[in-house]
Amino acid sequence: MRGLNQQQKKKKKKKKKKIGKPNQKKTHVKKMLSQDFEFRKKVMDMHMGVGELIKYCYTCSRCTDNCPVSAVTDNAYDPRSNIFLSISGLKGVLDAQPPIAVWGCTVCDTCDEVCPQSIELTEIFKLLKNESVKKGDAPEHYYLQAKAIFDSGKAIPPQPAIERRREQLGLPPVVVPDTNEVSTLLRNMGAASKLK
Amino acid sequence: MTEYKIFPGCMIGNRIPFIEAACRKVLSRLGVQMSDAPFSCCPDPTGFANFDNDGWLAMGARNLALAEAEGKDILSLCNGCSNTLRLVNHALKHDNLKKDKINKELAKIGKNYRGAIDVKHFVSVLKDNLDIIRGAMTKSLSGLRVACHPGCHYMRPSEVMETDDPMHPKDLKEIVKAAGATVVDYEEEVLCCGSSVSNAFEEHGKAILQKKMNSIKNAGVDCIVVNCPSCFQQLDGNQRGLDGDINIPILYITELLALGMGIPSDEIGMRFHRTRVNPVVEKLG
Repeated sequence: MRGLNQQQKKKKKKKKKKIGKPNQKKTHVKKMLSQDFEFRKKVMDMHMGVGELIKYCYTCSRCTDNCPVSAVTDNAYDPRSNIFLSISGLKGVLDAQPPIAVWGCTVCDTCDEVCPQSIELTEIFKLLKNESVKKGDAPEHYYLQAKAIFDSGKAIPPQPAIERRREQLGLPPVVVPDTNEVSTLLRNMGAASKLK
Repeated sequence: MTEYKIFPGCMIGNRIPFIEAACRKVLSRLGVQMSDAPFSCCPDPTGFANFDNDGWLAMGARNLALAEAEGKDILSLCNGCSNTLRLVNHALKHDNLKKDKINKELAKIGKNYRGAIDVKHFVSVLKDNLDIIRGAMTKSLSGLRVACHPGCHYMRPSEVMETDDPMHPKDLKEIVKAAGATVVDYEEEVLCCGSSVSNAFEEHGKAILQKKMNSIKNAGVDCIVVNCPSCFQQLDGNQRGLDGDINIPILYITELLALGMGIPSDEIGMRFHRTRVNPVVEKLG
């Protein structure tokens, strides 16, 4: 029986090869499981703690248990899984689906406070999101906000109606930044090249 | 008191200016001196930092450099801005390699940051001057039941924000008490408002807000005070869409202080709130 099954599997594999459809699930798992040491170094470099090295995650789940987004999404956003995969250098964490798996973090920094190993989780999630932006996978909002900052120096550009309201309220006009300085800085730092 | 470079931030300056009006009036009555500077976006710690960390650091450093050039500390009116500016300041002060790298880029636009200034959230300045606040109140807020929502970035990450307690914050409560109102505790006090996750997943932000507001409604309050424009926008603007007929006025802490100081609500544009603030204004007569 066993032999027969294997033969059947082989046949199936051949069939799929002929049609030319890659086994998506398997490719994903393979990606998940292959360590990328350059990625791992980036993860470690996000650690800001002064005078101490990043510690191991022993998957105690205090982060996920205290995460407000995990609580309302039935763990579709799971900080524990993200942090464990990242620290292990498993770059496939970036391909996790649906998008909320990477982008669900609401940046409340609660996990950082409750982690018994003092891992700066939010810093590492920031790296994941930065990498996701590079791949063009980020939610639209982030590209739009970056564009506004690049063009006007402000996440929320000035609007005539608000300027009038400021006047009514007796407020001075907003002192505007030198947009040339801001865009030069962002171009030189490589941020501008990520805009869509 | 010291003179600060005031940092209202994009959201207050270009979207919710009535918050700025209350802040400027109240702070100057308390004797805080402020001047403006051509600051850019801080930039947003929940938005642009997730887009590009290096660009975020460099822009934050440019803002710090502008204040440092005038020898002044920064006074921020917003949780997000103080979070970014303090994080960037912390990173540059503790990592010389990072500082050198950023300064190389700043030099190209004629700037430099040595790491000589501090960034203050306006709440931390208020909390250090409770006696002055007590002395400035002309109206009694006695009997006004207030829930406090200090917001995540006022206090976390704790080693950078350096407030009293990252999970049991008291600063905002102390100010409300000094103003003469009654602080009402509620279960979900340190729960995020859900603003940031709403940027991409509105339904989840709403679910978090619903939890928070249910908890506040159960506690029975006259109003909620906040000290962050993103939280303000989330709580004031998105209450209407929630289940359970919730309609609780949201006040910036400086608005509450302004009312207590006898500044007319019209002067600080309180009519522009989405929630009905009249019950609070009337209660204070």
